[in-house]
Amino acid sequence: MQDQVESLRNEALAIVSAATDQSALEAARVRFLGKNGAVTALSEGMRHVPKEDRPAMGKLLNDLRSTVTTALEEAQSRILEQADTAALSELDLTLPGTARARGSLHPLTQLLDRAVQSFRRMGFAIADGPDIETEWHCFDALNTPADHPARNDQDTFYLPDGRLLRSHTSSVQIRVMENTPPPVRIIAPGSAYRRDEVDATHLAQFTQMEGLYVAEHVTLGDLKGTLEFFFRELFGSGTEIQFRPHFFPFTEPSYEIDIRAEALGGEWMELAGCGMVDPAVFEAVCKRRGDRVYDPGRVSGFAFGFGLERLAMMVSRIPDIRMLVENDLRFLKQF
Amino acid sequence: MKISLGWLREYVDCRLPLAELEALLRRAGLEVAGVEERGLAIANVVVAEILESVQHPNADRLSVCKVDDGSAHPRQIVCGAKNYKVGDKVPLALPGAVLPGDFKIKSGKLRGVESEGMMCSAKELRLAEDAQGLLILPPAAKPGTPLTELFPAETILELEITPNRSDWLSHVGVAREIAVFTGNTVTPPRPALPASTTRVPGLLADGADKSTCYTLRKISGVKVGPSPQWLVDRLASVGLRSINNVVDVTNFVLFELGQPLHAFDAAKLSGSLRVRSSVEGETFEALDGKSHPLPAGSLVIADESGPVALAGVMGGESTSVTESTTEIVLESAFFDPSRVRRAARATGLFSDSSYRFERGVDPEGVFMASARATELILQLAGGTASEDLQTAGEIPARQQITLSPDRVRSLLGLEISDSEIEAALARVGLGCVGSSAWEIPGYRRELHRPVDLIEEVARVAGLENVPSRTQGIFAPGSEADAAYDFAMGLRRTLAGGGFHEARTATLLSGVEAGPFGDSVALRNPLGDDQSRLRNSLFPGLFAALRRNIDQGSKSIALFEIGRVFASEGESERLALVATGDLQAADWRGEPVRSRDIFDLLGVVQNLANAETRPLPNPPAPFGVAVEILVDGKSIGTAGQLHPAAARELGATAPVLAAVFDLVVWRPLATRQTKVSPLAKFPGSTRDIAFTAPLSLPYGDVRAAIISLQEPLLESIHLFDLFTDARGEKIPSDKKSLALTLGFRSPDRTLTAEEVQAATDRIKATLRGQPGLEFRE
Repeated sequence: MQDQVESLRNEALAIVSAATDQSALEAARVRFLGKNGAVTALSEGMRHVPKEDRPAMGKLLNDLRSTVTTALEEAQSRILEQADTAALSELDLTLPGTARARGSLHPLTQLLDRAVQSFRRMGFAIADGPDIETEWHCFDALNTPADHPARNDQDTFYLPDGRLLRSHTSSVQIRVMENTPPPVRIIAPGSAYRRDEVDATHLAQFTQMEGLYVAEHVTLGDLKGTLEFFFRELFGSGTEIQFRPHFFPFTEPSYEIDIRAEALGGEWMELAGCGMVDPAVFEAVCKRRGDRVYDPGRVSGFAFGFGLERLAMMVSRIPDIRMLVENDLRFLKQF
Repeated sequence: MKISLGWLREYVDCRLPLAELEALLRRAGLEVAGVEERGLAIANVVVAEILESVQHPNADRLSVCKVDDGSAHPRQIVCGAKNYKVGDKVPLALPGAVLPGDFKIKSGKLRGVESEGMMCSAKELRLAEDAQGLLILPPAAKPGTPLTELFPAETILELEITPNRSDWLSHVGVAREIAVFTGNTVTPPRPALPASTTRVPGLLADGADKSTCYTLRKISGVKVGPSPQWLVDRLASVGLRSINNVVDVTNFVLFELGQPLHAFDAAKLSGSLRVRSSVEGETFEALDGKSHPLPAGSLVIADESGPVALAGVMGGESTSVTESTTEIVLESAFFDPSRVRRAARATGLFSDSSYRFERGVDPEGVFMASARATELILQLAGGTASEDLQTAGEIPARQQITLSPDRVRSLLGLEISDSEIEAALARVGLGCVGSSAWEIPGYRRELHRPVDLIEEVARVAGLENVPSRTQGIFAPGSEADAAYDFAMGLRRTLAGGGFHEARTATLLSGVEAGPFGDSVALRNPLGDDQSRLRNSLFPGLFAALRRNIDQGSKSIALFEIGRVFASEGESERLALVATGDLQAADWRGEPVRSRDIFDLLGVVQNLANAETRPLPNPPAPFGVAVEILVDGKSIGTAGQLHPAAARELGATAPVLAAVFDLVVWRPLATRQTKVSPLAKFPGSTRDIAFTAPLSLPYGDVRAAIISLQEPLLESIHLFDLFTDARGEKIPSDKKSLALTLGFRSPDRTLTAEEVQAATDRIKATLRGQPGLEFRE
């Protein structure tokens, strides 16, 4: 019987180690350890073993069973490991990914949102006004003379009832002060319209960002600090900023801001207009409100505005402004 | 506005490197839009006469010339050009000359023959963009003459003048500004003023006297003829061509002092001149040779025959100075800017004069300019000037402004002493008249409030010296902030879901707006295609759709958030359009499906957490549509375009579209989530399958189940829908539906019996629907 055990052990180990898949292994388990398996059959033979030999034979049989069991377990993990390895090694990771196509935000939206977030960090809230404006909000209240060229039919779109499409978002300054007592600290992104023939650098409708801060003791230093901070946030700390004296009817002193930044192609570009709110603007607001909370002797403020299209064109090197409104997917998908 | 640097130097020392001068002007607020270099500024280039020319012994293409460079000995030059002949005068760069491009001229051997310099083309000297061969000079040019004498170097600055600074519209004005920032002295011309002035009250008619100051001076015995070269050159430098010596002088003084002048031919005037308002029906024949009808009330200069000049705008053809003129009347005046502007607009006549008068000229300069022009006319055209100047009207008195130095400091945020403020204002030419009171000279009449003086202080002090401050109040969020955040959230969600954000024009045509109801029209559109304000986002998005279809895009999904306009006001909308493949084909080879209306309904329902209800009468542009409901309120419409409309766009798959009213939607969308408790006990499911008439909407089936109000029923999920048009598996007028019903109790595990009982009750109800049969 000892020989039988020995030969069964050899046979079992040979078959188990030869098994290369799960089903061969299962067949081997059934053949040796199953209910009708060879090891079980051999155990049946214990009845014929002399009593004194039984403990030794019992131990042999137990050893046999545990040896085969261990071999099966080892083979099991060997086969699993091989299968796992094969499962991973078959993956061709150079195949393209198959995600659902994503969409995109318009480049102007992306730029506008960066600007909005930056001003929000500085404590500016968003304000809003209508695109269809009264001449008073767009020009009169902004200290624009009655015969100013900007009021021309050639330059500004009018409605039959005398209202107009705002030629700048500065009208929102007036809307805000009309409805809110100081202090106000707002930005107003929105559309503005000029009667320009559309070409590679002009649209009749464009996007502006307006800003206004009015409180007691607001100084030119505040204007400078705010816009320097903003443009460096947007275009990097190395951004050079120059304020060049200029003229706008609604600010005094007035400046144009020239900027040079790597992000904008490294050339000086004229980017924004700004200045200290003209006392005439405060007077117009006071008159309309019927109070003196915007008395230019008590409050002061700064205002600024800039267009986003040209900025987006510089930032993303867009060669033609019309690409921003053509909505060609070959363009939009790049953002 | 063109400013010649050479001309400018007559009045102020500005020998700065050009870049520094530009920086200085920018600091002053004068933007240099362009710089034009004319003439030649290269030393050691002289006129040479070619004395002989022979073939180079070692090179076919070269010649060896002997030239006269003005020195005692002829010079030998090797030359490659062919366009000259012996006797021609050409530019010769002598050894030591440095040509543009840092090209240094040296003596040396060319193919074994000594060459002592280089004869030049116009291009090599940058006198022309492109020129072949040597520059052949006029025969009169004298050998040895430096070429800089033939082509004097000139730098022309193109300045952008802001509308408030009319004083910068002249060379003396710009010189004055340079003096402010350099500290150098300005030396304007100081002509002798006439010995006397006579007031002629009749010169100004009633209604013409307001804000007008008018002067006339007679000059007799003039000889009209060509102008001297210096005057021709000066005018050319600012882009004017020479006409005759008298007219040229008036133009010269205009660009020198900024004062427009006009010379009448006295012989052509009938009777005395008068400044008056034009009357109804009057016309005026201007120097442009055309007859212009004048709106009543235009300011004109008239003789007894009618208008001879449109005040401040243009002189008349009939009284202009010509070769035969011998006696002139020289006008120098100040007119009301807005009257000049109106007249220029009404007639479409714009001139260098009207440009200046519209912006305001220096009324104090009227006499000076008259004297300056008289002096130059006498000098260039001879004759005798009347010792008397006829005048009418008043030169406005100088204004005085009181400025508090504290106000300067507080508005600028700059520590600047009283004396520094005073120094700054004195520098820009204001006169101090007592404590903090300042008198404004005539050329700065736009300064009329304290804040205008503060701006001057800021300009002189320089903004770079104002310390930047970064502080401010706290600002509460606004409704507009909430609307912005809501819209940005939608944008991001949609972009994540495969939609691309579009931006379409607000202005569109009446045809495009037509299907969407009334729209607001413009009074002065650029064209019919941009004559209305959009009343829907769809026309713009459909145009974008068509563009992308035409371009070959297989899958298009666009959205836009923007304003629409109606006579009642403006509102914010979100619109989506989509057509074509849901997904790009990939290497798995699974079939690619086109988007259908249910894909859109899914997007819409998820985006707004909304329900949708079919609309029996779909509005434009839909063929079929649902109403989008949140809390029972309609926030928009979604649907599919009529196939004919889709075909018109060039689409081969269904075109899907949706629109949301953000103003209605936002308040419904921003409620705070309240969490439902998580289920503690397992649920059970049962599948049911049945056939029903094709005409029975799934919504009716679902409604019938819900109407039972089974307390344990938690969910209804349609997992299969099958139709068979050929009637092989089920009749062609039937559809087969399969639902999974989910059951759950919050407080116990359900038994099979109670789930079955509930399922049976549901089936019994459904059997009540006509034509519905269970497949058992």
